[in-house]
Amino acid sequence: MEHDKLFTFDHVKKSPLHSLNFSIKRGENVMLFGPSGAGKSTLLHLFNRLSDPEKGSIYYLGKDLQSYSITELRKQVGLVMQAPNLFPGTVLDNLKYGPSLDGDWNDARAEALLEDVQLPADYIDRSVDQLSGGEQQRVSLARTLANKPSVLLLDEPTSALDQHTTEEIEQVLEGLAVEQGVTLIMVTHHLDQAKRLGSRGIFLSEGEIVEEGNLADLLSNPKTEELQAFMT
Amino acid sequence: MSPEISNQSLLFLVVFVLVPLTLSYYYQLGLSKGIIWSSIRGTIQLFAIGYLLTYLFDLPAYIGIPFMLTIMITVASFHARKKGEGLPSVLGIIFIGLIVIEVSVLGLWLLFDMIEFTPNEVIPMSGMVIGNSMIAMGLALERLKSEFKENEGRLTAALSLGAEPKQASQIIIQRTLGASLIPNVDKLKTIGLVQLPGMMTGLILGGVSPIMAIKYQLVISLSIFSSVSLSAIYITLMMYKYFYNNRMQLKHMEFDQ
Repeated sequence: MEHDKLFTFDHVKKSPLHSLNFSIKRGENVMLFGPSGAGKSTLLHLFNRLSDPEKGSIYYLGKDLQSYSITELRKQVGLVMQAPNLFPGTVLDNLKYGPSLDGDWNDARAEALLEDVQLPADYIDRSVDQLSGGEQQRVSLARTLANKPSVLLLDEPTSALDQHTTEEIEQVLEGLAVEQGVTLIMVTHHLDQAKRLGSRGIFLSEGEIVEEGNLADLLSNPKTEELQAFMT
Repeated sequence: MSPEISNQSLLFLVVFVLVPLTLSYYYQLGLSKGIIWSSIRGTIQLFAIGYLLTYLFDLPAYIGIPFMLTIMITVASFHARKKGEGLPSVLGIIFIGLIVIEVSVLGLWLLFDMIEFTPNEVIPMSGMVIGNSMIAMGLALERLKSEFKENEGRLTAALSLGAEPKQASQIIIQRTLGASLIPNVDKLKTIGLVQLPGMMTGLILGGVSPIMAIKYQLVISLSIFSSVSLSAIYITLMMYKYFYNNRMQLKHMEFDQ
């Protein structure tokens, strides 16, 4: 198994997903899209073992995903959900959550993390209840980044945000991918967003990969009726 | 006041049942059947227990006490289990917890010479400890289930950040314990001011001096406070792990709310 392949799915089945076979290379930014119920979020949770396949195997850097320490894997393959799901307390409490689990936190890191997600440094001591939806989502992203993940799973992180905030978050994600080499695997409903952030596209419908490949090619020349219908 | 209530006097208690019955009829609440049934059932249960206790009090302590405590703990376990519907092994865990708590409390009472090992002292006092522990376990189970349901997103976030189930459940454990303990702290604060506790009232009606009644009440109130706290902590710490599988993933169990 070559190590340029970050993830390899080998006949993976997990309801509603059927037999999935595909690989993701290091540095590819993969956009998962498709109609509701296609199994996009289910697929995303398989990458960091928030759930496991019923059949088949997943490989990460050439080794079976199940052979990694589950807590270490989840830190390396971070997840940002649709809702921020912040913990009660301050912004700092949230930022240090992941690293503190191993006693590996220094408050000095908070400022840089907030800068990464374009929030002012004086937000550190704010209660999360006082933040707007967009700010909460940025704290949620920073909280995941605090673990220094090499892969970032994103489950429609901007679906509840306005256009302006969405653009800001997209800039942050782009920066992470380009400057820090983080691989993005993102579920999105918006094809425009997929085009802006992704290099590769996987179109899912009813638990199956209907089309996949270079994102620009995929969207400029859809081969199946399902993708054509989804794009209109 | 006479400690004796004649059977004729008891019959007049019907008046107290007629009040809610009339209200139910007048406002068409549809509760008449329930009111009549629960009144009759309650009366029969109490008399049955009265006769049983009279019999048990005459038995040697080493037979009567274990016998009655076993019945109490068994009934309490089955009752508290209803609140933990859907959770595995919950009956056994409650049963063991109630035994350990009851034996510890009873051991301390006897060790510090607060009561004597006689059925007429041990059984009523233990009944209060077991009953309150049962309620505390039931409330904690109910709360635990609703907290897990409400906080699924946060728990998923915590797990995805590398937390182990115990670490991820920290907030839920704190909130469940808080919700179980706060009412008891409040109850202790107002004890004697808002209403005289049942045991104290009973002793005073039975002719015991108020100071002596207060001493007994203190023993039982603090024992209940301690056992309720222990019950909530025990059941929460024993049960939270059943919400996860051994791969540190949240189980998506369907709980009756």
